[in-house]
Amino acid sequence: MFRRPHQCRQLGGEFHHFLRLTTARPCLTQDNGFVSSAGYVHEEETHLIEQIRAKARELLESGRVSCVIGYEAATRGGTRPAFIYDPDGVDRLVWNRECYANLTTFLHDKKKPARRGEEVPNVAIMTKPCDSRAINLLLSEGQISRDKVYIIGLACGGMMAEGNLQAPCLRCNVRIPVLYDTLIGDPPDIDVTDDFEDLAELEGMSAEERLQFWLREFDRCIRCYACRQACPGCYCNVCEFDRDDSLWIGMQIELPQKYFFHTFRAMHLAGRCVECNECERVCPMDIPLSLLNRKLVKEVSELLGHRGGMTTDPVPFVTILADGEVSLI
Amino acid sequence: MMFMSHSSLTAWLDELAGERTLIAPRDVGRGHIHLRPVAGSSEITLEYDRPDLSAKEFLFPHTERLMQVEKRSDQVTLHDRFLEKGQVVFGLRPCDAHGLVALDALFRDREPADAHYTRRRQKTALVGIACPQMWESCFCTSLGGAPDDPTHLDVLLTAVEGGYAVQPVTNQGEALLASAAIEEVTDLSLPDIPRNEQVPVLAADQWPAHFDQEYWSRLGERCLSCKLCTFVCPTCRCFDLRDEPVASRTDLVLIERMRVWDACTAPNYRTIAGGHNSRPLKGQRIRNRYYCKFCYYPKDFGPLGCVGCGRCIDVCPVNIDIVEMLNTVYAMHQERDTVEAEAET
Amino acid sequence: MSDNGSNPMRPYVGRLAGTKELATEIRLFQIELQEPAGKAAFANYRPGQFAFVSAFGSGEAPFGITSIPGRGDLLEFAVQRHPHGKTTNGLHRLDVGDPVGVRGPLGNWFAMDEIQGKDILVLGGGIGGAPLRPVISTILDNRDEYGKTTILWAARTPSLLIFTDEYDAWRAAPRTELHLTVDQRPPDWREGNEGLITTLLENVGPSPENTITITCGPPIMIHFVTLSLRKLGFTLDQMLVTLEGRMHCGIGKCGRCNLGDIFVCADGPVFYHSQVAKLLESFL
Repeated sequence: MFRRPHQCRQLGGEFHHFLRLTTARPCLTQDNGFVSSAGYVHEEETHLIEQIRAKARELLESGRVSCVIGYEAATRGGTRPAFIYDPDGVDRLVWNRECYANLTTFLHDKKKPARRGEEVPNVAIMTKPCDSRAINLLLSEGQISRDKVYIIGLACGGMMAEGNLQAPCLRCNVRIPVLYDTLIGDPPDIDVTDDFEDLAELEGMSAEERLQFWLREFDRCIRCYACRQACPGCYCNVCEFDRDDSLWIGMQIELPQKYFFHTFRAMHLAGRCVECNECERVCPMDIPLSLLNRKLVKEVSELLGHRGGMTTDPVPFVTILADGEVSLI
Repeated sequence: MMFMSHSSLTAWLDELAGERTLIAPRDVGRGHIHLRPVAGSSEITLEYDRPDLSAKEFLFPHTERLMQVEKRSDQVTLHDRFLEKGQVVFGLRPCDAHGLVALDALFRDREPADAHYTRRRQKTALVGIACPQMWESCFCTSLGGAPDDPTHLDVLLTAVEGGYAVQPVTNQGEALLASAAIEEVTDLSLPDIPRNEQVPVLAADQWPAHFDQEYWSRLGERCLSCKLCTFVCPTCRCFDLRDEPVASRTDLVLIERMRVWDACTAPNYRTIAGGHNSRPLKGQRIRNRYYCKFCYYPKDFGPLGCVGCGRCIDVCPVNIDIVEMLNTVYAMHQERDTVEAEAET
Repeated sequence: MSDNGSNPMRPYVGRLAGTKELATEIRLFQIELQEPAGKAAFANYRPGQFAFVSAFGSGEAPFGITSIPGRGDLLEFAVQRHPHGKTTNGLHRLDVGDPVGVRGPLGNWFAMDEIQGKDILVLGGGIGGAPLRPVISTILDNRDEYGKTTILWAARTPSLLIFTDEYDAWRAAPRTELHLTVDQRPPDWREGNEGLITTLLENVGPSPENTITITCGPPIMIHFVTLSLRKLGFTLDQMLVTLEGRMHCGIGKCGRCNLGDIFVCADGPVFYHSQVAKLLESFL
């Protein structure tokens, strides 16, 4: 009755022999409880991380929060998201010029209790200025409640890639978070204006040239949905693109579907995009998604005077239902 | 040792492209190299390390049309869709060919054989190029492969001064080379490629003891639940199946039944008709992915479900690093052994 | 062998010969296979096996076969329409006479010959009763081969109870009991009990002696029924269950229905609970 696959067999002896020959040693990292060497840290920023760790420790020890979401050193340089539950774990936290990830997307995981019957957890989160706009977005859309999130705001001089400031950081004029509970660091004295220069080349193209530009970019897309999953504004329980009845789009991983996916997602983020650039950062194929989203940022900004997440005002074109619930048109 | 000059290679590839579909490394923009069908050698780039995606998509395509359904009034006719033309995948790396061993075991060798995969496999020749080095995230040598391993290819080329050293591996490879201008040279030595540090991998039967470790939920916490690691993986093979309309007229409806890559890391992967999801947590899903590779796959089908290509390490936006995972599980196992040994004494 | 003949993903074409409303949004589909190869494939399927049914254009989905060979030539499937289910909606839109596809029979089955001589306790929840109907039919058709048979049949509401027009025949069979229950009983419904199937089970209180239980229903029901059965003294070796998974191939390839190193489609869907308990991964 219970048919086992007849191919059941263990790894061959050859493999074990092979293993014995190796000089296998475990590498010690955060994940197995050992602390690895810290990532790349600017000298002037070392005192800031001590402030961050002290605040994190205080929040955990006092019971104000059960988890601190922050950055820790990654395995091969750079940083990665870290979730600290134990006050003694705060020494894992780092703050440097490679803290790219927008951590606010993980707040969606903290909207519900970890176990049935428990309370919604209180969390603290290390928040860069650009990422802080996502918190406003989530507040304006009723996704999180302000008292559940303690914002460790970080003044930011920009993130570096290969020795240079990243392109979005060069035009950024939001240098301290738009909201926070505590602010770490002094606002850097940087005066730039965002004149949407990055869009100039695309706007100079004819419609046909633009189409060809995007088709060539989307050709590389593999529909892995990393852009959608990393985006704090993409949190639908069941995305239109995941619906089994596929009302909007076929499931093919082919150019028409990829083109539709990206343009549809950009439309859904119009007025909501907080310009954190996560979608572009996580894209394994380097599709310049920020151009798509920033074009809509510009349009909404010029037409309606709204910039996603700068305040807790809802996007101009949402419907406020009678019971206060917010619904996108 | 056999040698093929650059110009001979170009001529050979152009000839191959005439009779079959030639699939080769191509620059697809912003420095990305994909294996893609090419019209001839002029579209090929030989400057690349590891193509973004493995060669899996030519045996198990991301979008495979299994059949076309023709509906006329109340009559239905099914037209099977199979690969007709032969194809040569040129420029894949040894680990990509190694990955097909896992797919063969599942799709071809386990009854009932998958007709579409089996047909593609029969019609595909593999001409690999040895890796000039092991890149930072490579750990193929820990899983039975090597940067210059010819085993699972039909022909292996290795870059040497002025051209390539040629190693035919199979009869199909010999036949493929019949039209190539090859010289026999005596003073040719193949480069010695430095190996990366070995990564410890537990045997399949050592994994179950670690299934309930808290480590998995901690690891899953930063996972984004995207499908990236599985799509770039040479062995991940989960798929979804669906009918998509092609054309609709009053007297005729054309539908394609297709299977498309899917990923066990996606949030609703396990949701069944009544809405129940038996893997709602990210840690459960990432654990399943790794257990599939190192525990279930070898138990059920023979080969491991990982060849150490390192792609998932390079692409993961949140640094979920399979080597770190393997080291951690190994450390947990060592610790367990120590505890058990102490308990005995 | 032709390519078509060796393609396990190709459905056999058939015709929708008849339908019957079983319950709210649950319809019985009676299918007549037309191709000789299809008829041959389904000449000897067993209770508990399943098949993929295609509504061409809407896709295919797996359903337990609810008919038994020998009782008529038609293959029967009970299909519950789900609001966002593309295939179940597609099937419910079909008219009698429309073409359909069937791929199978797939999976293992209830070894009815191995459990002869035993008392049988059948527990069906909602649409989960569908693959149990051929079990009941087999027992009733070979009544002397099996001991006392107790059927516990549950649904959320009376309008979701399936195979209602067969209850009289089940009740009338010798040494056979049928107990019905619904989560919430409307005032005018007198045919059965109110409450979950576990409450009913504990009220009926069957003896574990020489008894085999066969359970099919949603995962949460299987979980709680198992707890109740253990309270009554049943061991996991006495409990047969059928599990479901989000299958897309039915032949152990697509990877979607694994529980640890087994595949529900190819190694199941019928298991002794003692086998399920040993799996690394929970079905729940």
